[in-house]
Amino acid sequence: MGRGAGVGARNAVTFAQECVIPVERERLWDFLMEVPKVASCVPGVESVEAVDAGAYKGGLRVRVGPIRLSLQGTMTVEEQDRSSWRARMRAEANDRRVGGGIRARMNLTLASEEGGTRLRIETDLAILGRIGEFGQPVIKKKADALLEEFARNLGAALVA
Amino acid sequence: MNAFEYAAPRTLDEALAVLGEHGDEARVIAGGTALVTMMRQRLVRPSYLVSLREIAGLDRIEAANGGLRLGALATHREVETSPRVRERLPVLAETFRRVASVRIRHMATVGGALAHADPNQDPPVTLIALGARVEIRGASGRRELPLEEFFRDYYESALEPGEVVTGVVVPSLPAASGAAYVKFLPRTADDYATVAVAATVSLEPDGERCRTARIALGSVGVTPIRARAAEALLAGQRVGADLLRAAGESVRGAVDPLSDHRGSAAYKREMAAVMAGRALTQAWDAARASVRGTR
Repeated sequence: MGRGAGVGARNAVTFAQECVIPVERERLWDFLMEVPKVASCVPGVESVEAVDAGAYKGGLRVRVGPIRLSLQGTMTVEEQDRSSWRARMRAEANDRRVGGGIRARMNLTLASEEGGTRLRIETDLAILGRIGEFGQPVIKKKADALLEEFARNLGAALVA
Repeated sequence: MNAFEYAAPRTLDEALAVLGEHGDEARVIAGGTALVTMMRQRLVRPSYLVSLREIAGLDRIEAANGGLRLGALATHREVETSPRVRERLPVLAETFRRVASVRIRHMATVGGALAHADPNQDPPVTLIALGARVEIRGASGRRELPLEEFFRDYYESALEPGEVVTGVVVPSLPAASGAAYVKFLPRTADDYATVAVAATVSLEPDGERCRTARIALGSVGVTPIRARAAEALLAGQRVGADLLRAAGESVRGAVDPLSDHRGSAAYKREMAAVMAGRALTQAWDAARASVRGTR
């Protein structure tokens, strides 16, 4: 996060996260490119279905303090480059009850290292509407907690 | 705001029964200063509100084991102006006086503020520094927790579904002790703190060395934070200005601020160190003065 008080920046954040999954790069890549499989490792995901090539719709439940969000939206895989181990995804989701939504762009990179593969996720996240005001300060912390659980689930799914 | 049912039972048992019946859809309301705001913003949309206002005796401020017990329904203003609180724990009255505006303080309750678990509030900071315990009632009975264990995450507490905060018990300070609450609020007087620190210092009978110190901070993490490393630096030591400053500096390692419109995380961390040093110095000076006063 690391940003100051700029008004324009208030509900937009950019952050990078990394984790190491104890499997080889090829295997992790193949798994990550199958969105429904990956989705089952994301905490709070309720449903995912393919609507088009590289496009999916689904639902995600997140809790921030007293606020329970039920985000419904779409995710699109915009770019997959197995030769450089990079992928780009875009997600858009809204919560109709609370009023607001998120727009996210994610860049994924995989790098081999001893003991597994380092997954790096760079995220540009915009939070729209009422949920932005309340949730913005903790988004990075929530995202870190989410990634930690995701990495654990991913590891368990792949090693099993 | 969404439509909702409203119940105002006359006993706690009735309130707990209603909460049990409606589960997730029900919310407890006391002063409403936090909940109503969130409902108006449509951030929360409970279909059932259970008011605690008609339950007799829940608002009492009373002496308990030499200390104080604040009933959950006591308002901030009642704590601020209570002769009993002012006499026994002036730092607590002063802390409640620093909350928001007088209109809010007339409505906001002690238990409501704790249950809301907003990490930017004033009272939890001083209550933790004083070693307070929170009383909780649920369908399965009564339990008590040290307040610092009650706060779990951003706006999240240890309250289980169907449980209610019924009060907070605050021990008295030992003889030869001092306490201070320092609220750094560079914007407006009714704002949340940018950084808040409460400190208590108790001296050895010789009046020269620190026996124990407790330090808690607010607005510098997802929950109020107790700075145990800083406390350990002071315990048993002959204390001077340098050591007080060093203890203040050490809170940098305990805090984990969020960047927001009150400042960046780095700025808040620096301010936490400065304000902790000041709070400790004030508490130390007050403890020393209390020793001189009795000799």
